[in-house]
Amino acid sequence: MSLVSGPGRGGMAGMPVEMQLFVDKHVSYIQSLDTRKDELEYWLTEHLRLNGLYWGLTALHLLGHAHALPRTGILDFVLSCLHESGGFGAAPGHDAHMLYTVSGVQILATLDAFGELEERVPGGRQKIGKFIAGLQDPETGTFAGDEWGEQDTRFLYGALNALSLMGLLELVDVEKAVQHVHSCANFDGGYGTSPGAESHSGQVFTCVGALTIAGRLDLVNQEKLGAWLSERQLKNGGLNGRPEKKEDVCYSWWVMSSMAMLGKLHWIDGDRLTRFILQCQDPELGGLADRPGDMVDVFHTVFGIAGLSLLKYPGLEEVDPV
Amino acid sequence: MASHGISRGAGPVVRSEEARQKELQQITAYRDLADLVSTKMAERQYTVQVLGQITKLLNENPEYYTIWNHRRRILIALVAEEAPRQSPDELLQGDLQLTFALLRKFPKCYWIWNHRNWLLREGEALMGAEAAYKLWSGELQLINKMLHADSRNFHAWGYRRFVVSQIERLTPSQHGGSQQSLAESEFEYTTKMIKTNLSNFSAWHNRSQLIPNILREREADPQTRRDFLGAELSLICEAINTDPFDQSIWFYHQYLLSILSPSCPPHQLVVQDLTNGERQGYYEHEMQYIREILEDEADCKWIYEALLGLAEAHMEVDAGTGSFTTKDMRAWLDELKRLDPLRRGRWEDLERRLSL
Repeated sequence: MSLVSGPGRGGMAGMPVEMQLFVDKHVSYIQSLDTRKDELEYWLTEHLRLNGLYWGLTALHLLGHAHALPRTGILDFVLSCLHESGGFGAAPGHDAHMLYTVSGVQILATLDAFGELEERVPGGRQKIGKFIAGLQDPETGTFAGDEWGEQDTRFLYGALNALSLMGLLELVDVEKAVQHVHSCANFDGGYGTSPGAESHSGQVFTCVGALTIAGRLDLVNQEKLGAWLSERQLKNGGLNGRPEKKEDVCYSWWVMSSMAMLGKLHWIDGDRLTRFILQCQDPELGGLADRPGDMVDVFHTVFGIAGLSLLKYPGLEEVDPV
Repeated sequence: MASHGISRGAGPVVRSEEARQKELQQITAYRDLADLVSTKMAERQYTVQVLGQITKLLNENPEYYTIWNHRRRILIALVAEEAPRQSPDELLQGDLQLTFALLRKFPKCYWIWNHRNWLLREGEALMGAEAAYKLWSGELQLINKMLHADSRNFHAWGYRRFVVSQIERLTPSQHGGSQQSLAESEFEYTTKMIKTNLSNFSAWHNRSQLIPNILREREADPQTRRDFLGAELSLICEAINTDPFDQSIWFYHQYLLSILSPSCPPHQLVVQDLTNGERQGYYEHEMQYIREILEDEADCKWIYEALLGLAEAHMEVDAGTGSFTTKDMRAWLDELKRLDPLRRGRWEDLERRLSL
């Protein structure tokens, strides 16, 4: 997921209350996230800090409040997570891992800060690229998360995403990665974490995203996968991740971005989904939850808002589905 | 940070001063422990005592992945000591117990599953193939328990496939015979899971993965393969009859139709020498069966979707079919549009694709 600049599209004046996005509330919710140091939850989620920053920053950009968080502060924090190896950890003192390296690169790209990276860490871009490239399995083409070896198509997508943002795709064997993704395809058109694993919307996003970056969407069984993705929409308008599971706002992103990449967004009811996402807002304190009435968090906030952006909700910036 | 299914309650939460003080104390205790572990690790104090502090920290926060890395660093150092106080097996058993207890509480935490996987791989390197075979075999019990608690747990199914592959790799080969896999018993397991709950698509999926192996190992001849296919079709038809609104069942039905198709990849074929005449026979039989269900369930959109899918498959092998007409297809498509307005755009595309 990255941002593209889109033209502003009017406001929300005259919108019925159930169709309103509480932009100001969400902005202050995201601004408040780093001030909650007197809550245990803040400390228990330190391992997600860099991801959280990326999610919050992306949500603010989509909401048209790109500068609601201080740019210098963000940049200082991101670079404080960078290891000598070229990998990023979740926070200072946390080990390097693909998941945070991707977030680190995505934040740098969002802030257009690769120049500052080079100033402060000479050769930084190459270093990060090499860290990522070093995690590719030369035999299968897939990627590990770190030196401890867990492999997953999430890491493969993350690697291609970050490398393409840095213009360093040539550091890895893209063709081999593509073949690995292809070997994860199932009869239903979907993809799993590894060959033979059950199709899952999150993994579908990572695999279709990786193939989009590699320019190989021709390998996707687009009719079958489009059909499977469209069946994720339930009667209440929300989307689930797998057959016969409950709806969750985050699938608004995983499912819809995949459908957008396949040109099949019109295979679900966008209006019903918009209403479902909006019902998941906390109208008082801001933020979005997995389902109406639940506790909000920044993860569901960004994926709900990104979903609304794909649905062309008025006033939101346009999101790139990859 | 990613909270699921926790109710927000009404209005903002206001903590009492007492509750606030208590939370601040918890924060101090947690941070002190985390700082202590970090300091000891920076000093390379890879000791049993620090391992104990790490256990405590992981019990409070199993998502803290760096701490799992620290744990592995200590374990590697402990087994490499000249006079180890604990054998590799003792250390491993301790960690198996820890991860089991944590998985019961946090069944979807990637890092716990990941650590367990690492433990067993290390176990093989340290204790040899025979010990590893026993360890991997023992994992099936844990997985059964996890899938009993949540029969769709994505991690548990993925780990199951990996564990099975490890057991198969380590199974001593029979005298002169070919290596026996676990495909048969795994297939039985999916039958059991499906019979408990027809909606369990994870089990249906795994079943589809096992079928080619089973037939290969049975050295099934063309007739046996046809019988096998017939049995699977009967099973799914019975399931359709039980609950035609369950999409898990229809996806498995689609799988069975996909392996009948002339365009099915060879390694997925169940019957390798199907003739087009036989294909038509299967399609007609399915169509007839599903049309019978229609008489009781006229408002089930899956039936119309399946009928259109069958019609398309049929036309792939026989253009001049007499078992349905374009008018039938038109009517099924109209029903889809009526019953499933959420996916109207998809049905309109289908209409164009089929030139209806």
